[in-house]
Amino acid sequence: MHILGGVVDWLDSRTGIRTARKHLLDEELPPGVGWWFVTGSVLLMLLAVQLITGVVLTMYYVPSPEFAYDSVFYIMTNVAFGRVLRGLHFFGASFIVVAAVVHMLRVVALGSYKSPREVTWLTGVILLLVILGFALTGYLLPWDQKAYWATTVTVNIARSGPFGTWISALMKGGSALGSLTLLRWYSAHVFLLPAALIGFVVAHLYLMRRHGISGALKQVEGHPKPFYPYHALKDTVVSAAVFALLLTFAIVFRPPLDALADPADASYVPRPEWYFLSLFQLLKYFPGPLEPLATMVIPGVIVALLLLLPFLDSHPDRHPLKRPAVTGGFAVIGAALIVLTYLGYKDTPAHADPARWTPMALAGREFVADPQCVRCHTQGGAANPIANTRVTRDPEWLLAHVRDPEMIAPGLRPIPSGAMTESQARSILSYMKKVRSGGTPPQVSEDLATASMVFGRFCAACHTIDGEGGTAGPDLTHEGMRHDAKWLKDWISEPEAIDPAANMPSFAGRLTDEQLTAIANYLAARK
Amino acid sequence: MESSIGDTDRRKFLSRTITAIHAAIAGVVGVIIGGAISSPMFGRQQETWLPAASLTNLPENEPTPVPLRIAREDGYREVIDRRIVFLVRTANDQVTALDSTCTHLGCRVSWDAEAQLLKCPCHGGQYDRTGTVKAGPPPAPLARLTTRVEGDRVLVRV
Repeated sequence: MHILGGVVDWLDSRTGIRTARKHLLDEELPPGVGWWFVTGSVLLMLLAVQLITGVVLTMYYVPSPEFAYDSVFYIMTNVAFGRVLRGLHFFGASFIVVAAVVHMLRVVALGSYKSPREVTWLTGVILLLVILGFALTGYLLPWDQKAYWATTVTVNIARSGPFGTWISALMKGGSALGSLTLLRWYSAHVFLLPAALIGFVVAHLYLMRRHGISGALKQVEGHPKPFYPYHALKDTVVSAAVFALLLTFAIVFRPPLDALADPADASYVPRPEWYFLSLFQLLKYFPGPLEPLATMVIPGVIVALLLLLPFLDSHPDRHPLKRPAVTGGFAVIGAALIVLTYLGYKDTPAHADPARWTPMALAGREFVADPQCVRCHTQGGAANPIANTRVTRDPEWLLAHVRDPEMIAPGLRPIPSGAMTESQARSILSYMKKVRSGGTPPQVSEDLATASMVFGRFCAACHTIDGEGGTAGPDLTHEGMRHDAKWLKDWISEPEAIDPAANMPSFAGRLTDEQLTAIANYLAARK
Repeated sequence: MESSIGDTDRRKFLSRTITAIHAAIAGVVGVIIGGAISSPMFGRQQETWLPAASLTNLPENEPTPVPLRIAREDGYREVIDRRIVFLVRTANDQVTALDSTCTHLGCRVSWDAEAQLLKCPCHGGQYDRTGTVKAGPPPAPLARLTTRVEGDRVLVRV
């Protein structure tokens, strides 16, 4: 202890560290500074967590379309505490947006933006925009479906405004959304925005200290008290509670990772993260040439009003009821944002239930258990188990590989005998994607396994179930509403016996009676 | 005077409470990021048996270089490592596998049939067909890999 004191003395004599600490912590706060004044500290704590977790995530994340998705998956499955780490970062983004809005509302409610704190307010509004910038650029990084399509929409929104072509090209970094876009947004997310964030946070704190805390609305009797430890305790307790809540989110909920980005997928319905849902919903009310009103004008006016607030409302009275225009304006905009967010949320299609496996994914699981696959794809084998192999490959490449594994590394392994049908190969891809997006393989009955394998091997070439399969024949997702099991079995066995003009081939000699019964029962049960 | 002492005690208590809460948060974050950063230190090396050669094709008592391709997880990627091992077949059909990595500074050794030695091109290290150091700076014999003969197939554990 004596030695430590000596070291601190020496450091203090060289750097003035004690004076700095005293200056930082001993600020006298006016009486009446209550719990509402902890919001800034909570925000600061959340930003620190985001910064620390972000730095560690960059040790594993790769900003390239080829590896981004797999590296995020690797973080979640192979890195110690990786899922919680990404959870803290992912849910932390939402916590920050909420904390920033609460902090801003506190400042507005107590009129803390008024003279002489106008510039403090301005730096705060810029920080809010920087935070939203983080949220937006962070989107693209996992390179999953949501990332890809939400970014596509963002870039196209930018194109609809003035200098749109130029701005969208700047955002994309190339002619199309791809590796250059990902690198550009990554660079903004980990270099430009953090630099802006740190700079403006320092300026914000400096200005806060320069002008002192605005304090309670009414003069409160009593003596000023130093920030530390009296108010610092309030900051610490609330920050700890918020951190505990964030940690609970990170532990309990799996941070989402959609299927791998697929620019050719026309079935995916993109929806933004909840904090951009209001903008998304607003867009619906301004179709066609009016679109820039929703994408540029209204948000622009709101940001401009926020920036100008201290100058538009310069009267020294801070009580919210004595500033009806500001209080009412915020109430109206706030209510509009809440309603729009709610409407946008209501319009969000339910995410595919990860617990529900499509028949193709189920079939894929059965196909990869084939000894021909397991011979190489096994723990300690010539290749990784299929559930662990990366899916960031061109679908055609994967298709070619599962149909001819020799092409992955000529000479490494013998070519399996017999070819795989295309629908079998697609079933395997469906299985791999399902595993990657967090789906746990379900326990299924023997009949369902048989029906899935029949569907994956034969039917999926022409028919679709749950969005997967071919389109040459009718969609069988709700086939049970049209036909019963007996009819279906007869139809699959000998279509021409029912309809002489049927296009469907006969499966009587190709499927066993057990297989025919299984697939017919399965389809009949799909209502 | 009494209230001043009470105030000092209160301040001390509050300070310690703040320090304890901060330490708890830092501890939790520290465990998570510490675990994530040090994660690769605890990765297990997977071992596998690879078919390396046909026994009848191996000349007796002469180190034969055999290229092995080993599929390995490299974080989020699957890579193929290429590794050369020297297989030496003895008179009683036992096979020894020697790693081709020089134990001095990691260069690749090659078989000099004339000198009947495995020689390192970098700093002149020399080994005999059992991997024993015969000359030069290598501090240890060539590493041996476990082998197994199944019928005519020679398998090497990597």
